[in-house]
Amino acid sequence: MLVTKHLAELCSLLIEELYGELPSRIFATLINRGRSSIPQLVHHTSMNPRQLRHGLAVLLQYNMLFYSAEPDTEVAVYEANVEYAYNLIRTGKILEMIDTSFGAPAKDVMQSLLLLGQARISDLVEAYQQKIDQAKKAATEKVEDGDEFEVNGVNGHSDSVKKSDLLVKNTAQLNSVICRLVEADLIDVVHSRSFQTPQDIHKSVEKDVTERLFPGGPKGGKAKVELQDKIAESLRKIRSESKSLKRKLEQNVTSAKRRKLFSGGTSNGAHDEEVDPDLDSRQVIRINYEKCLVDLRNRRLVQFATDMYGEVTAYVYGVLLRLLTKPIARCRPDPLMDIGEDDKDRQKLGFVTIDEILDSLKTSVDLSLGLGKVAKHDISSRAADAIQEEPPKPKLYIEEADVDEGDSADEAKDSDGSNSSGSDSESDHKERPATNGSKVQFADSTSAKEMRLNRPAQLRQHLLLLSESNQHFVRHCGPNEWTVDFVPLMSALREFELDSVIERTSGRQGLRLVRILRTKGKLDEKALPTVALMKKPEVQQKMLEMQNAGFVHVQEVPRDTKADVKKSFFLWFSDVDKSLARLLDTSYKTTVRCIQVLEVLRQREKDVLELTKRTDVRGREKDVMRKEYFDRYSRFLENERKLFAQVMRLDDLVAVLRDF
Amino acid sequence: MPSDAAEADAKIQILKDALYDEARQHGSADRLFTQKDLLDLNVIPSNDVVLLLRVVQSLTDDKLFVGATNHAGLAWRWRSREDAQKYTSLPNDETMMVYSIVDEAGADGVWNRHIKHRLGMHEAVVKSCIKYLETKGYIVAMKNVEHPHKKMYIRANLRPSDRATGGPWFTDGELDSPFITELETIVFEYIKNHSAYLGSLPIRGGGGATGADGALKAPRKGIIRGGAAANGDARGLKRAATEISNDEQPAAATGAPAAASSEAAEAKNSSSAASRAARGKVFLPFPAGYKSYPIVTEIAQFIHKTGITNNTTLGEADIQQLVDVLVYDGLVEAVKVGGRKGYRVMRAAKQDTASFEKRQKEREEGIGLDKPHTGVALPTNGVTEAPCGRCPVFEICEEGGPVSPSKCVYFMQWLGLEDRGGPAGGAPAMVSL
Repeated sequence: MLVTKHLAELCSLLIEELYGELPSRIFATLINRGRSSIPQLVHHTSMNPRQLRHGLAVLLQYNMLFYSAEPDTEVAVYEANVEYAYNLIRTGKILEMIDTSFGAPAKDVMQSLLLLGQARISDLVEAYQQKIDQAKKAATEKVEDGDEFEVNGVNGHSDSVKKSDLLVKNTAQLNSVICRLVEADLIDVVHSRSFQTPQDIHKSVEKDVTERLFPGGPKGGKAKVELQDKIAESLRKIRSESKSLKRKLEQNVTSAKRRKLFSGGTSNGAHDEEVDPDLDSRQVIRINYEKCLVDLRNRRLVQFATDMYGEVTAYVYGVLLRLLTKPIARCRPDPLMDIGEDDKDRQKLGFVTIDEILDSLKTSVDLSLGLGKVAKHDISSRAADAIQEEPPKPKLYIEEADVDEGDSADEAKDSDGSNSSGSDSESDHKERPATNGSKVQFADSTSAKEMRLNRPAQLRQHLLLLSESNQHFVRHCGPNEWTVDFVPLMSALREFELDSVIERTSGRQGLRLVRILRTKGKLDEKALPTVALMKKPEVQQKMLEMQNAGFVHVQEVPRDTKADVKKSFFLWFSDVDKSLARLLDTSYKTTVRCIQVLEVLRQREKDVLELTKRTDVRGREKDVMRKEYFDRYSRFLENERKLFAQVMRLDDLVAVLRDF
Repeated sequence: MPSDAAEADAKIQILKDALYDEARQHGSADRLFTQKDLLDLNVIPSNDVVLLLRVVQSLTDDKLFVGATNHAGLAWRWRSREDAQKYTSLPNDETMMVYSIVDEAGADGVWNRHIKHRLGMHEAVVKSCIKYLETKGYIVAMKNVEHPHKKMYIRANLRPSDRATGGPWFTDGELDSPFITELETIVFEYIKNHSAYLGSLPIRGGGGATGADGALKAPRKGIIRGGAAANGDARGLKRAATEISNDEQPAAATGAPAAASSEAAEAKNSSSAASRAARGKVFLPFPAGYKSYPIVTEIAQFIHKTGITNNTTLGEADIQQLVDVLVYDGLVEAVKVGGRKGYRVMRAAKQDTASFEKRQKEREEGIGLDKPHTGVALPTNGVTEAPCGRCPVFEICEEGGPVSPSKCVYFMQWLGLEDRGGPAGGAPAMVSL
């Protein structure tokens, strides 16, 4: 991950927000200075070693450090783990996602885990045990109090007691929740190399492999490739160490499932708690952000599909994505590790069939909705059902037109055949309601014809619609096989986000110009107004404006060797990657500003906030505080919520641009 | 001897007329005749080249023939007698030369500096010649869109070429932006209405569903009758008409998709009363493989039929240009189904379902002027929502600088704090823009 100035600033602000100034200052120093030992940190931070050790311990507890101890010097050096630090911003989002897909208890457990950073399973169990005991004690008290309250008719207090009711009722449930989260790959095991930087691991593996297999260094191209493969293999092995718990569980769970099947078990959706094996309580676990990101990506894509096609189609899409991404460990394959064909851990996307989707669809969803109704003869089933076996290739600027032509010619031939003979005869519902001859029938959702399409066929229609999209939502990769090519899809989404920013900042005409450049490649300034149907001075002004904003770029091509500026061509072009990188940095900076403004607000309302910190005020702000003060306080809370919500929104964008 | 000469002159005069007439029979004024072509016209007796030379020379002197060169060497083309008359009526050679240059330039016109440059004459002379020709009504000044500041001249009886006028998108040498915008909107509306299905919002119609269920089991005739009945009383075209009147509450129409967006599945199953409240029209995408997405030819025909462009003729290429702009704007996208390149609206479900006329009326009344004229804007994201995304001084915003987060008025406005007293009031004014 490229650490820009604003990202560094953002990370230290986040740490300050959550863990205080001391770790934040150390972290900032570590980002700015690179890996450092404690004496070096003493020098740069002018803190004493005791403070530093405190701060480093905090950072380490929350997985925000890498360290390595040189065996010969016995000096530990520390390095900032920017990725984990940035991921602090996503805490709320991840918890919400777990809440919706695994339920409140799982969320509670994950929250505890996030609060702890990393935890030994036994410690986690112990902590929960304590909580449970406390709750039990409180519950018995509550029963006594309860009558009293009911008599008095005061139920305000009993509500709050109810809220503190525990989501995790016993340690067995806790165990089962952890099992499920581990199975879903959302929780990882911390192992000896978790705190080594990827670079360190790579270096040591490379050294190891070279010494073991290629003493004297690899000779020739073939050996070099082999070396790379071996390194990748070893790296994957190290990476999979963190999945040890999951593997163990998988072995057990399959047998548990089998048992259930044979006994004809009454599985009511709830996880059977007895069959969950006891986890090795010595294992240290922490959240696996990589997998969380995969799930968050699915959500973002569903949102994208909603925006493009509507809710029902997007819902179907969500189910498809959930099924498809179950085995995927991360959004983007590691360029170093995920190479080589023979790797079974590789991101080999499978496919999903309609039956599988159908099994997971909520029965309450009416699939007949969300699509227009068209007479059968208006649909070219050949074109709709076309199967693409290969993922779409990235388009080249110049070749694009030619390639398209070729395709269309083929299509034309195909469809001519099918239009005349195939499509109509094979239709299984030829009879249409006897409305007038208009092509589009304005019949409503439950017309007779539509009801005749059975549920799988309706589902298929939604999938076909998605696969027809120019954004490559879904690829129909074989008969009844559906898959998603994330790379082109995500770049379409990124482009969409960029377009949105361009439209909001430079207007629709700006967007028009950028998109022209994107399709046509490099264009002379004189050619632009004609294509864009805009006035020349307007175009010039817009282009300069957008050049400043980083959306378009200019190249000067001299006409002759003299390179006279007056005679030079000025070619405009739009480099999407460059613009996206800039937008990413802008997002970081905006996030930083949001948090800073929050700090400004805090300073401004300092007196009020200090008041609320008093123990006699806390929890009863409304009753104790003067109205004027309480108004200021509630307004501050509202603004705080707004700003945090904005930070979340910004993170949505960052995730799309960087992580998905 | 003099009679001989007179006789020869007369002979040449006859030959001249004959050659001229014959040449006019053989091609337009643009055709170039080579020497061989002229001989092959069989006017000059015994293919006498010398005689031909004299005849052609004489015709050229009379401005009836214009000399030119083509790949084969020297060649001539004829000029009409009226045009030639104009030449011969000119007072002097200079004027004639200036006129010939303007004449040669044809429909593209010629720049006055060009005339001077080519003739190598003094500016004053050229000026007076041009003035003379203008007063005579032989040439007129024209404007070229490519070089709006150049003074150009064109023969009076010619219309400037498309290259000079810029085609149908220009009016008086200026790009007619309002015309283009308006036409774009119309084209967009056409594509929108023909590439998406106007349905009602997803609700579960209680009676309709059971009725159709019943019809499913009934014999075929029953289906048709049942369907027709359903169309008649509940869900047909007539129903659509009443729903258009429902659209009079724009809040309901625009609010409904947002309300339904979050919990699609749940919303549909919620009580019918709630869903009826959210009832409105929405555009739905057509199923994959839809064959009737509008193509450019259809759009061009539609524009032609409506007669919106009564004094400009728009060809298919012009409409294509317009549609391309809509594609670049991200409002429509091209879909190829079976080799047929149609266009469909992007993000159909988000589009405005109110009619074009209604929106136009609203705009005249000043409602919804903040919305884009055509289509809907793209969704916002984190950057554009925050003040920073639109901040003109974002680049120089830095703690300790002239613009800094602690002094940011935009953020305070955004959070609704700018009207407060206290420290907010003391914040310095933003850098003047």
